[in-house]
Amino acid sequence: MYKLNEIFSIINSYDYNNMAQQDSSPYSDIGLTLGMLLLRIWLSIRAIQTGIEKFAGSAAGTKSVTIDGAPNDYGLTEATSSKIYAISNYQGVPGPLYEKFSNEPLSPSWSLDIYNVVLGPSLILLGFTLLLGICTRATLFAMGLLYTSLTFGLILIKQDAGVAWLGIHIIIILLALVLAKYNRLVVTNKF
Amino acid sequence: MQQILPTLTRRDFLAKSAVGAGLAVGSPSILKAKDSSQEIRVGFIGCGKQHEVLFNAMVNLPGIRYIAACDIMRERLKGTVGRVRSRFGYMPNHYSDAGEMLEKEAKNMDAVFISTPDFWHAPHTVMALEAGCHVYCEKMMSDTIEGARTMVAAMDRTGKLCQIGHQRRSNPRYKYALNELIHKNKILGPIININGQWNRALASSQDIVYGKPDNLPNTATLCKYGFDAGAENKLNEEELRHRFLNWRFYTSLSGGPISDLGAHQIDIFNWFLGVQPKSVMASGGRSYFKEREHFDNVMCVFDYDTPEGNARAFYQVLTTTSAGGGYYESFMGTQGTLEISEREAYTNIYKESGADNSALWEKLVVRGYLKKDDVGKAAGGSDSIAAYESAPPDKYALPGGFSKPPHQPHIENFLASIRDEAKLTCDARHALESEAPIYWVNPAAENRETIHFTEEHLHV
Repeated sequence: MYKLNEIFSIINSYDYNNMAQQDSSPYSDIGLTLGMLLLRIWLSIRAIQTGIEKFAGSAAGTKSVTIDGAPNDYGLTEATSSKIYAISNYQGVPGPLYEKFSNEPLSPSWSLDIYNVVLGPSLILLGFTLLLGICTRATLFAMGLLYTSLTFGLILIKQDAGVAWLGIHIIIILLALVLAKYNRLVVTNKF
Repeated sequence: MQQILPTLTRRDFLAKSAVGAGLAVGSPSILKAKDSSQEIRVGFIGCGKQHEVLFNAMVNLPGIRYIAACDIMRERLKGTVGRVRSRFGYMPNHYSDAGEMLEKEAKNMDAVFISTPDFWHAPHTVMALEAGCHVYCEKMMSDTIEGARTMVAAMDRTGKLCQIGHQRRSNPRYKYALNELIHKNKILGPIININGQWNRALASSQDIVYGKPDNLPNTATLCKYGFDAGAENKLNEEELRHRFLNWRFYTSLSGGPISDLGAHQIDIFNWFLGVQPKSVMASGGRSYFKEREHFDNVMCVFDYDTPEGNARAFYQVLTTTSAGGGYYESFMGTQGTLEISEREAYTNIYKESGADNSALWEKLVVRGYLKKDDVGKAAGGSDSIAAYESAPPDKYALPGGFSKPPHQPHIENFLASIRDEAKLTCDARHALESEAPIYWVNPAAENRETIHFTEEHLHV
């Protein structure tokens, strides 16, 4: 049986066809490697699922009211609602926020429209890129810029709690960039 | 009361009736019920706002083919034709004269939907029935009780179906409340008092104006179709057009707010109690809209003798305020109260705190007949005097609603009846039995007298 540190030693020493750091790297601290992996996973899931949720909607339906355990004879129904994902549901910037931004002079409608279109796909793309380990540093930087753009919007509409929350994201990204030298399990670590 | 029909077109109407009667006799096939797989071919007489309500309620129903439409206003007619074309890809034939439409199209139509001003309901209904078509006619049946009686007679004479647009009669919530809660389980106990109202805000009660007056029918057309009825002097084009758009304000063209808004709800009083009232007293005023011929606000009280004892029903139609809970009918029994409305949001059921049948209510909740919403809570406060207060009632709700436009079940019932799959929920005879007392509210208010109903007042 391998011990855990032996397993990671094997992982670190594996030649990923030029896709990973070499085992001769001085940055092979197992704890920091796991920490970096955790940050990548967290930031990826955060971005991917946030992007996917922009395609979420609800399907309203009805079902027959049951009386004495059987469907009623009168056609009385009660409302049901279920969550569904569809391209047609896509809304990059949520409706109420979109309305607020559209009244902001520093967020012209053309840029808001573009942002509305690209936000969801960008989050999903960056999330998968980070999860797979493709150009991790560049991806983290792009993700940081995206969260900064969101921060700009929230400053405009005076959502201070949201600004602080995004600030935490930036700190996590910063931490990931610091630990990038311990990055393992990647497709390519260039950039 | 004299029946007031536009004389010029009444001649047309009588002539067309003869043609229609011949058609009905000569075409026995159209008297047969439609097979459920067959399309029902319909026409529209009147293409205004209420027509749009009906069209929107039937547009998703399968098995309907729209054959023809008629309106004296070209813009409205174009709207109807356009709606059919955009939805179904074909155009119905269009006419400006109902008699012409029936003469040319009756043989191709199974049913006609009539949503014209009240004073045209009776002539159009009789014409369509005589031409061999089943009829769905909007309420109030007619502006006069005599007109309504001609509709019942025509229905009987022709054997065709005539559904009147009291759409609550087909509403699943109303049917459920009446059959299951009031009749079968008797949760309310004896109903002793009824209260109903339709309170409409000033903003919704203003004169209707039309942005493009040039598109309105001209003087000759409006006179031809009777919009000058009852006028003492010759009317100019502006006056006629005002009557065309606001016919509800004129005594020769409609029954006013008590029939326009009250008819739906007073119909429910009579339907739920299963009897006609014994008398009516009323008060009305031209309190805000002083130039209008009809009262703008009316309050009335009907007295009933029901199998459970005497009862009374208060009804008010107010066009100067929307405060007070909108529109509903409230049936107050000794054990509980059903406050029901076409709007689900206005519907509540209350159990008296000391109800003898409390165990029944709880059992019905368990079985799914009722939902319990809230336990009655005393308002409390330093201004409450315990000796004056009753314990608050518990609040319940119907177990469900329905997710269709309010008029759809009534139209579905009409179409199913044509296919011989159902029985009309509000044929002209039953509608008139229920509507007849309403015709006497305005006279009671005008003369400030209690009218005790006799057979002469209420007969069908």
